[in-house]
Amino acid sequence: VAVATVWGALRGARRPPQRPQPPPLCRGLAKTAGPRSIRQVREAEEAAPVFQYVGKAARRKDRVFVWGFCHSGALGVPSFVKPDAGWKKPRRIQPTPYRLETEEKISSAACGYGFTLLSSNTTDITKVWGMGLNKDSQLGFQRSMRDRTKGYEYVLEPSPIALPLEKPQQTRVLQVSCGRAHSLILTDSEGVFSMGNNSYGQCGRKVVEDEVYSESHVIHQLKEFDSRVVQVVCGQDHSLFRTKKGAVYACGWGADGQTGLGHYNITSVPTKLRGDIAGVNIIQVTSYGDCCLAVSDEGDLFGWGNSEYLQLASVTETTQVNIPRHLPFKIGKIKEAACGGTGNIVLTEEGNVFVWGYGILGKGPNLIETAVPEMIPPSLFGWSDFNPDIHVAHVRCGLGQFAALTNRGELFVWGKNLRGCLGIGRLEDQYFPWRVTVPGEVVEVACGVDHMVSLVKSFT
Amino acid sequence: PAVAGPRFRRLRMGAGHRLDVKASGVLVLGIGHGNKLLTDLYNCHLTKVYTVGGLFGKATDDFSDTGKLVEKTTFDHITREKLERILAVIQGTNHKALLMHSNIDMKTQEAYELAVKGLIRPMVKSPPIITVIRCLQFSLPEFQLEIHCMHETQQYLRKIVHEIGLELKSSAVCTQVRRIRDGIFTLDDALLRTHWDLQSIQNAIWDCRLKVKTEIEKTLG
Repeated sequence: VAVATVWGALRGARRPPQRPQPPPLCRGLAKTAGPRSIRQVREAEEAAPVFQYVGKAARRKDRVFVWGFCHSGALGVPSFVKPDAGWKKPRRIQPTPYRLETEEKISSAACGYGFTLLSSNTTDITKVWGMGLNKDSQLGFQRSMRDRTKGYEYVLEPSPIALPLEKPQQTRVLQVSCGRAHSLILTDSEGVFSMGNNSYGQCGRKVVEDEVYSESHVIHQLKEFDSRVVQVVCGQDHSLFRTKKGAVYACGWGADGQTGLGHYNITSVPTKLRGDIAGVNIIQVTSYGDCCLAVSDEGDLFGWGNSEYLQLASVTETTQVNIPRHLPFKIGKIKEAACGGTGNIVLTEEGNVFVWGYGILGKGPNLIETAVPEMIPPSLFGWSDFNPDIHVAHVRCGLGQFAALTNRGELFVWGKNLRGCLGIGRLEDQYFPWRVTVPGEVVEVACGVDHMVSLVKSFT
Repeated sequence: PAVAGPRFRRLRMGAGHRLDVKASGVLVLGIGHGNKLLTDLYNCHLTKVYTVGGLFGKATDDFSDTGKLVEKTTFDHITREKLERILAVIQGTNHKALLMHSNIDMKTQEAYELAVKGLIRPMVKSPPIITVIRCLQFSLPEFQLEIHCMHETQQYLRKIVHEIGLELKSSAVCTQVRRIRDGIFTLDDALLRTHWDLQSIQNAIWDCRLKVKTEIEKTLG
């Protein structure tokens, strides 16, 4: 090549025609490098493979989230109490929602005092799972793996509860409810099953002197009501049953009048309530502590039980009311009510939320107690000029906290943050409604004393 | 030369919140004394409104449609309802961030009063916060969102579009970012390219001075 250029420089004019040189180091396999033209980029983009992560008919998944105090095992995650690696420490509190894996779709959940019940409306044999405290057999008899004659006192993960059903593959469990040391399970065709502590007759059977409740196999079935039972509610040591005809039955401890039967003794057989609700079609009853509320189909509110915290002070000065009384609040037609330990909350047809009672009611630290319902401004639940159709759809109460579900599936909590039960990530009390960040649309929430369970649908 | 009037030689000009190359919309400029007003307006921490256009099915490295393709996905499972659910959650978590960064003690009565009125917002520098986000148009594969935000950058908005795509189990790129409101200045106050002459600029400054004064007095006291 050097010879040719010298020749060209010397001769000047003609140069031998250059043969097209093959590109260096090319074996005919690789393409040349360099910036791609726009056409090449576009062609490469069109030829790129399309990934499909989810098909057109993808269904939303149902999930369960739990948070609160872990040590009793009520959250159902064994690694919180007994860590699976030696260096990990047991977690005492779960301050934010944690996903609980379940085999079946859970349709109803209830939180008691240190234990939880989950139920599914499937026709499989296993319909109810329980976890947490079992010192009074409120989760039935859980046979211990180590010793076949003894039962577990603490159940750390959701364990099936064996119900003595006549038709286990046809009956469905509709709802569960938990009290302090007893629980109720409602089925569609076989009545109500009750388990746990019966020292005040709250399980609906006769009180047996010196009965030992731990490791007990007794599950009592209740069938004698005027019609089918459609809702069961557990108070602290009493039980309420609402039937299809709109009647309310009660049994259990009555020293605060929470059985509403006109006396302050214990009742061990479910008895129908009279008073102001006689003849009224009740569509919802609620209780968690010692006060009870009932909502009728016309939007009226009735209450009975403990009134030490001004829950019923609008109708009476006495601190115990043992017969249902109508509460004449002028706040509109009531759609739903919830009773807590010291405070009550109602939801009206217009979607407004009213609170009264004692404690952290949700209107700032200045409102500690009131006998007359006060409305919580809807702007705290996300209502604004940009979102005028957001309103609260459900209200729930734990012992010292309140929860509200909006129609968009957001969960707002406020109240006493006992051992992290609010799930907001902090351990301080919350004086006005605060959002809980849950990765999904919250469909149902159950509040307990120091933990909460929520049933959530995923977004997509 | 047919030009008459005073000569403007030394003009100090400053710009308000930045607008990057690929975005468009309202850009506030200040001249002379206006620079001080610009700093005051910045300290008011008002929200800005953007219309953001997006396209499902593609994911690129810089989240816009001119970037290098990373992945293509299907999007026929996406419905307007699913998108609105995701937007509601974004709004909810950002509302929480709004209350947390405003540095008010949640346990006081005044925090409750401000939260009821919706006046809580961070008055110091904070991570980007979206106050309102909603879907204006939805026709697969394109969609358009209106976003009210503060302390953000346009690239953050493109990243939000990308994350919405991921949340819907697909992918999305941002095609357009347009600022339609910057605090108190809207599109109506903005001057078009054809109106960049002295008379229009003077008129615009004159019209806006009352608005600016009232806003600064209201927020900063």
